[in-house]
Amino acid sequence: MMDDSELRRRFAQLREADGERAPSFAQTYGRARARRSWRAALRMRPLAIGAAAAVAIAAVWLAHERSFSPSAVTPTIATWRAPTDVLLRTPGSELLGAMPALGTSVLDTMIHTPSNRGT
Amino acid sequence: MDEVELRRQLERAHADCFGWAMACCGRDRDDAEEVLQTVYLTVLDGRARYDGRSSFRTWLFGVIRRTAASERRKAWLRGLLLKREADGLKPEAPAPPDAEVERDSRCHSLRYALAQLAARQREVLQLVFYHDLTVDEAAAVMKVGVGSARTHYARGKARLATLLGDAREL
Repeated sequence: MMDDSELRRRFAQLREADGERAPSFAQTYGRARARRSWRAALRMRPLAIGAAAAVAIAAVWLAHERSFSPSAVTPTIATWRAPTDVLLRTPGSELLGAMPALGTSVLDTMIHTPSNRGT
Repeated sequence: MDEVELRRQLERAHADCFGWAMACCGRDRDDAEEVLQTVYLTVLDGRARYDGRSSFRTWLFGVIRRTAASERRKAWLRGLLLKREADGLKPEAPAPPDAEVERDSRCHSLRYALAQLAARQREVLQLVFYHDLTVDEAAAVMKVGVGSARTHYARGKARLATLLGDAREL
């Protein structure tokens, strides 16, 4: 039966062989720290994606709002005229809109003669 | 414990930790280094805290053992999901000896004999003979009762002696 000292000797040899293959502490620790930085960056990724999405949504919303907002030249309700008002202007509407005077002819207002040009 | 003190303690235990990580990773150097990095990261992040109930080394060995087991499970799941049996589970037994690494045939026979033991027996023998822990400390690392650790120790030692005796005769 193999005694403990023989086993210890063999394990010591194994330990020595492992020690030769072992990476340095600085190397392992440095890589662990690098992984920590990388993980921290990865942890921030959802936040960055969320912030970018929020900015994009806000930009789209603002652009949409601007395209439908009333501009400065929009007339008020008092001055507004319907675009179809032009259809109500009929030929001779000037004659119908003025009060006829006694002793004058409608034709005088339409024909500019030297006599009525001065009036 | 602040980070400077933590780093000092880790540096002091580094060589020992690497040996234990090798034992927990089927003597695969790359896996052992990966596990050790994960352990340092876990300790630095405060996800594993030393509470002073045992020695720092015993506590750290426990963290290494848990981390190695977790990495083995992940590797197994990856292998299962990717259906790549070839890259899946690593065999418990060490690969055939590399001439450059295995300069000492005695080391190889010990590694081979250790690989034939049950996991608990291998762990307790590694902790006692390689790392000079007591059986009680080994039990704390392995999270088993002292009585159970003593049984594994006795049976493992007898089996190891037989295996090494057989190897010597060959």
